[in-house]
Amino acid sequence: MKKVGIVLTSLLLMVGLVSGCGSTAPAATPGATTGQSTDVKAIKDKGVLKVGVKVDVPKFGYKDPKTGKTEGFEIDLANAISKKIGTEKIETSAVTAKTRGPLLDSGDVDLVIATFTVTDERKKSYNFSDAYFTDGVRLLVKKSAGINSLKDLDGKKIGVAQSATSKKAIQEQADKVGAKVTFLEFATYPEIKTALDSGRVDCFSVDGAILLGYLDDSTTILADSFSPQDYGVASKKGNDGLAKVVNETIADLKKSGELNKMIQKWGIK
Amino acid sequence: MVGPFAWFKWEALFRDWTVFAEGLKMTITVSVLALTLALILGIVFGVLGASQWTIAKVVSRVYVEFIQNTPLVIQVFFLYHGLPYMGVMLPVFVVGVVGVGVYHGAYIAEVVRAGISSIHRGQMEAALSQGFSFWGAMRHIILPQASRIVLPPLTNQAVNLIKNTSVLAMVAGGDLMYRADSWSSDNIYYGPAYVVVGLLYLLLCLPLATLTRRLERKAGVST
Repeated sequence: MKKVGIVLTSLLLMVGLVSGCGSTAPAATPGATTGQSTDVKAIKDKGVLKVGVKVDVPKFGYKDPKTGKTEGFEIDLANAISKKIGTEKIETSAVTAKTRGPLLDSGDVDLVIATFTVTDERKKSYNFSDAYFTDGVRLLVKKSAGINSLKDLDGKKIGVAQSATSKKAIQEQADKVGAKVTFLEFATYPEIKTALDSGRVDCFSVDGAILLGYLDDSTTILADSFSPQDYGVASKKGNDGLAKVVNETIADLKKSGELNKMIQKWGIK
Repeated sequence: MVGPFAWFKWEALFRDWTVFAEGLKMTITVSVLALTLALILGIVFGVLGASQWTIAKVVSRVYVEFIQNTPLVIQVFFLYHGLPYMGVMLPVFVVGVVGVGVYHGAYIAEVVRAGISSIHRGQMEAALSQGFSFWGAMRHIILPQASRIVLPPLTNQAVNLIKNTSVLAMVAGGDLMYRADSWSSDNIYYGPAYVVVGLLYLLLCLPLATLTRRLERKAGVST
């Protein structure tokens, strides 16, 4: 009898957990739906645009350990959007591939500008802006490894970040050239570089511009570049006014040539 | 609005259930092997720690204190990223078994030591006077008595061990946590992913925790 009781209790607990979690989601969002730009106005009233950015991607979003400041192309973009909305300043917080979704959902950040690749699957969950940057997946290897192309990576291990768009892209390309590769996923870029240094992986593969930040004397980036990936600014579904402002900003920056200037300033093309 | 637990995210998860099944298999395999290693290490160092030899006691002490007072994350990180510089490239599976096994071995050693010292020393003295060797007395007289007391905290360690295998997610270990990270960072359907993985861990640990309580009752240890 007792055993049955325990099993039943645990089952109940599980059901409670699932349904409990499920019901909190819709309850969290009602205020955001009213009107077109109440969401933008709310941000303007606060005076601060909260943006989730990377802090470990040199040139895009990187926290300089010397100055303690977070700087990069994506921070500049955030500032441009903030100007357009009319907020006085931006407040950046560090995100990773794992935290950027939850932070958007919870409302801790208004926007995520963090080398966030746009995919159809992701569009179901978040609003993505038009692309502000397009970049192909590239491969960073040790010079001493004697690897010259994707084909040479046959039977090797490739380290990728936990945001597997690059994984899919490489897999497709590798199948084409007949190379059998395996993937190891890590949470952050520095971890992949550590794995490359210690020989855990033979190749570090993410978007080319990000790789540039990790290039050093002992490594080289292969000429192969494939499946261009679009980076978009992500915002929460429902904050459609905000998404519109972001898109307008990006369109303006493109038209005036300002976006290209920013890209040149950071030397990422 | 699309919440983190929207239904289509659950559907995607059930479609990709093999991803999680593979992770579960890895977690169970690593747990079983690591537990075996931890038990062996724990009993050996626990007995050494309870013995009269100074050197053995010191060795046991050093092992236990060193392991207990450094984070498991650093130990695993060292095995994974540090050892290759010394020419030792352990497969990640072995890193998991050794890392988690050695870590919990230290805790089990303390459990075993405490269990042994809870047996009256007259038992050991009597055994030795009857001509038993130290190890013989341990095996036939002391450990069987201590095991009754030691079993509940041991199963508790097993529960902790299972949960701690999730540290492998950090070094691309292919375990349950890694699969959840990998799957959900791709499509950002993190809601269902972590709930399901949490439930799977619960499913693994709950029976053991229940066993702990039953053993406690049997051993007459009141809770």
